[in-house]
Amino acid sequence: MRFTDYIETSFSNLWKMKLRTFLTTFGVVIGIGALVSMFAFGKGVQKNITDTFNELGLLNYISVYPRSNRYRSPTIPDDPDAPGYVPPVENKSEKARLLDEDFVKELSSLEGVEAAFPEIRFPAMVRFDDKENFEMVQALPAKICNSGFLKLREGSFYNSDDEYSILISDSLLRRMGIKDMKSVIGKKVEISTMAFDVSIESIPNIISFLQGKGLPFTSKNYRFTISGVIELMGMSGPIPMRTNILIPSGISEKMKKIQITSISDIFQSITQPKGYSMVGIKLKDPKHIDSVKKWVEDAGFRTFTLIDQLQEIKTAFIFMDLFLFAVGMIAITVASLGIINTLVMSILERYREIGIMKAVGASSADVKKIFLFEAGLIGFLGGVLGLVLGWIVSTIINFIANQILIRQGVPHMSYFSFPLWLCFGSIIFSILISLLAGIYPTIRASRVDPVVALRHD
Amino acid sequence: MPKVENVPEYFVEAHNLSKIYSSGKIEVAALRDINLAVKEGTFCGITGTSGSGKSTLMNLLGGLDTPTSGSIKVQGKVISELNSDELALYRRFEVGMIFQSFNLIASYSAMENVAFPLLFADVPKAERTRRAEELLEKVGLLARKNHRPSELSGGEQQRVAIARALINNPKLLLADEPTGNLDSKTSLQIVQTLSDLNKNHGLTIIMISHEEDLLNEFADDIIHLRDGKFVDNKEF
Repeated sequence: MRFTDYIETSFSNLWKMKLRTFLTTFGVVIGIGALVSMFAFGKGVQKNITDTFNELGLLNYISVYPRSNRYRSPTIPDDPDAPGYVPPVENKSEKARLLDEDFVKELSSLEGVEAAFPEIRFPAMVRFDDKENFEMVQALPAKICNSGFLKLREGSFYNSDDEYSILISDSLLRRMGIKDMKSVIGKKVEISTMAFDVSIESIPNIISFLQGKGLPFTSKNYRFTISGVIELMGMSGPIPMRTNILIPSGISEKMKKIQITSISDIFQSITQPKGYSMVGIKLKDPKHIDSVKKWVEDAGFRTFTLIDQLQEIKTAFIFMDLFLFAVGMIAITVASLGIINTLVMSILERYREIGIMKAVGASSADVKKIFLFEAGLIGFLGGVLGLVLGWIVSTIINFIANQILIRQGVPHMSYFSFPLWLCFGSIIFSILISLLAGIYPTIRASRVDPVVALRHD
Repeated sequence: MPKVENVPEYFVEAHNLSKIYSSGKIEVAALRDINLAVKEGTFCGITGTSGSGKSTLMNLLGGLDTPTSGSIKVQGKVISELNSDELALYRRFEVGMIFQSFNLIASYSAMENVAFPLLFADVPKAERTRRAEELLEKVGLLARKNHRPSELSGGEQQRVAIARALINNPKLLLADEPTGNLDSKTSLQIVQTLSDLNKNHGLTIIMISHEEDLLNEFADDIIHLRDGKFVDNKEF
């Protein structure tokens, strides 16, 4: 038989028993629909996460930490000539060096590194429009601003690391009661930093602190111009963290302040630290991640990359996929039992017809193929319609989910993803499953004895 | 008894043919040591009471069944030794069969029924239609080509079945009680059609019938079967 004949014959045979074909196919449609929408959900969630990572450039990011804290005790003076000075202990076996400006420069010149910058965060009083807010200020190099970390709402990013420009978040402005984000561009903001000061000039401060009359802080005021309004998003290492105020890192270096990147800093930075507690590296492309990571680790530092975390997340996704697959397979199994039932019934009804086929010269293989094509056709129709059903159901669920979540402030997202392989894969899978279900009925059909079948009334 | 096995001019030969059906421990011999020889171009009639093994013999000759023992030769080919795929080819191209109950496919039109065997012979659709129409014209049913079997009379259905049996141009036609479901007038027409095919196209016909009058009128010779054995061993 020719291929077109098989298709035509199967179509006309299935058309003859429309209701049964419809019911059987519908079973497959539901099975495939369930499988498809579950896969689409799994893939959609994964896509959301990886896309967000990519969009934020988080996969291009390496955080560098010292292997051990090399901060020195606050009681030891920095000046080698001062009394009580103890030289720092060099631990040669660890070959660790200081996470300092020189190291950052060296990092910046590595192949594949777009920028390396110390992660600096410090508390400060922000005064704007007669209002005061206590905020964490983050220093971010101008280069990094523009690389996808931040979303600009109004104005522009600062262009150099040495201008007194500031980026302010829309949520901070809202908190201050400012609705018109555009109006703040170009306006002045005053930032007051606090610093522990143990120099000779601040002795009166320390004395009053020891007497319980205030804190040994000196406060300094700096004036900035607002260059842009950003959507609330900041970085603390690779973990997104809310930062309302961003300033150029060059300016930050000139400011007297307490640096805080971790809780331990609060206790250890009473004197100027000897190095940064964290340095961020932004790569040009994620493909450089391994070489840069190795270089940094060889230099004696710890690294943290989100791509490593992503691998773990991906492993978790595999389990989620397996679970969804198992649920979908239950539906498919039920559907294939339906196919087996339909074909067996069809063979009983067409017992005599099979006898006639054989009497006029059909081989067992011909008979087998005719029934396998019918099974395959049910699978094909079920696959296509199942895909459509899965898509419709997903779209509805996505719509409802977004309606609910938008009210809770979650941005509009596609929770379902239909990659091309899923569309074609589900149809092919449906056909394969149906063919598998068709094997037993097919063998039964091919074994029909024409002598018995032709006597059959 | 004639020595049939060494005579080459016979078109159909059966030698010591037996068919035993066994269900459980009970064995029923439908045919016992039958010897048969039919020359090419003969119209051979077989008659006998019901249960005498006529249909069993027909199924064996038509390649639908295999003998328990003995051999069958058609056109010099030992068909009793063919495997199931070879038997399918034999049924497809070398033998046509018609039955008492017509055995047409109810959901197919007359033309689709006639063209049906060509489906398995890989013939393209246009060619199938052409040949089916040609044969329907030959049996005088071209005007009814789009009718379903249920819309045709018994005689018309049997003529559709004849057309179907001839679609692959076999040289042997086996007719198993072709007039069993027909009235006497129609029966006569059907057997007349078969006789014409025999005389004008050289078709070898073996026909089972219990209507001896019909066989006497048209068959070149008649053999009688009783309890799986020939009553009168004759040579044709």
